[in-house]
Amino acid sequence: MAFLEIDQVSFTYPKHDKPVLTEIDLQFDRAGITAVVGPNGCGKTTLTKLMIGVLQATEGEIRLTGRPIADFSLAEIGRRVGYVFQNPDLQLFCGTVAEEVGFGPANLGYEPAAVAERVGFYLDYFELTAYRNTFPMHLSHGEKQRLAIAAVLANEPDFLILDEPTTGLDAYRKRLLEDYLKKIARSGRGMILVSHDTAFVDRVAERVIVLENGRVIEDSRRKGKAADEA
Amino acid sequence: MKLDPRAKMVMALCLSGLALVYNSPLHLLLLLAVTVALLLSFRFELSAIGSYLKPFLSLMLFLFLIQCLFSPSGRVLLAVGTLPLVTTGGLLTGAGVVLRIVVVTAAAMLLATFSSRDFILGLVQWKVPYELAFMVFIALRFLPVFRDELVNVVTAVQLRGVDLKKVPWGQKIAMYSRLLFPVIYGAMLKAQRLAVSMESRGFRVYPRRTYLRRLNFRFVDYMVMLVFPVITIMLIVLQVS
Ligand SMILES: Nc1ncnc2c1ncn2[C@@H]1O[C@H](COP(=O)(O)OP(=O)(O)O)[C@@H](O)[C@H]1O
Ligand SMILES: [Mg+2]
Repeated sequence: MAFLEIDQVSFTYPKHDKPVLTEIDLQFDRAGITAVVGPNGCGKTTLTKLMIGVLQATEGEIRLTGRPIADFSLAEIGRRVGYVFQNPDLQLFCGTVAEEVGFGPANLGYEPAAVAERVGFYLDYFELTAYRNTFPMHLSHGEKQRLAIAAVLANEPDFLILDEPTTGLDAYRKRLLEDYLKKIARSGRGMILVSHDTAFVDRVAERVIVLENGRVIEDSRRKGKAADEA
Repeated sequence: MKLDPRAKMVMALCLSGLALVYNSPLHLLLLLAVTVALLLSFRFELSAIGSYLKPFLSLMLFLFLIQCLFSPSGRVLLAVGTLPLVTTGGLLTGAGVVLRIVVVTAAAMLLATFSSRDFILGLVQWKVPYELAFMVFIALRFLPVFRDELVNVVTAVQLRGVDLKKVPWGQKIAMYSRLLFPVIYGAMLKAQRLAVSMESRGFRVYPRRTYLRRLNFRFVDYMVMLVFPVITIMLIVLQVS
């Protein structure tokens, strides 16, 4: 049984007649980095929103660890699958950068000292320590992106979905993100990476799914990536 | 039917005013029927009211239950021991409160049946300073932005692993009050960004603005603006006396 199964899923937005996704059939294990690529508007973001239960499939079923995703609450999904939105503005809601990173761990019941340690680590890794008391909405786009990724990673979920995480990052920050994602993959966690950035995808992904007009037109594995670079 | 935006504003004001004065569900239902009929005559998609109210559904249910429980009168329908739980009077008061919210929302939708440009234009021709008219417009536009923002934050908080339904009340209130400020401030920043993009496109550069179009009242506009307030004032006087 795969960690995340998408079984004959179609999706149409309410009050629209043209389906955005048609008969999608995919399985994801809790290992390796899978990239989802495809032209603008082909339904990549919609597909990821279905995977985390923010949208519900019009037809077909999505299962997480074998159970239909409709049986989970959003919080239960969130604790298993970390999701980084395409638009970081939509997922930052705390008063300071440090609070934002600590929000998940603090609410998952970690001791204050453990939360502080994690916050310190992720702020340091994503080079946000200088902004720890800044209001998140005052950051630049790239900084917000890094903060959103740090805040989700601080929860240490089993599986990660990142929607266009490299937009707004410079080459050096991309490299850092790449290293970190590979490190997560090596620690036995799975990941889906939605991206336009073909160079980035080439460097990190072991499996590439190509979406076009709401259908999967290619699903191929590339040997010798990411995990073996340890 | 085509009406001047200002006539529609007067209509919306009258209907909301009446909704605040009336308490009985019957009166409010009649008021709702009138509002819906008006909306239909402006070719307004009624389902939009539903989607607008949806995030507030649990709040409305909460208000309904509170009114039901705490304003007992009339016949007792359900009691625990000697304590009346559900009474006819309580049910009616609860229904009244919910209906009032629906009527005010529906009346506000009258403002959505004309374009924002017409709205500003209408106010300006009434000698309302342009900046003020623009601010009123932003406030109206801002409410839906703010509601969307709330929906987003609630989703994002849950996806970080917090089960809002299971958090105890004390903690929930503490969390909400901590999030309230950043959310309001964030939404304001977004509105401000809108304002900056307007200024960079020449808003307020010239002391006097010129308008390509003028809105002109027609006979039916005058009628609406006369008849609606007169009837409203009469009804209010009747209700209060
Ligand atoms: N909330 C929405 N309501 C209606 N249509 C939408 C909505 N969000 C996206 N779409 C449409 O669905 C299609 C796929 O969008 P999306 O999943 O965001 O694509 P991608 O992420 O691949 O660029 C697009 O045609 C888009 O216009
Ligand atoms: Mg997208």
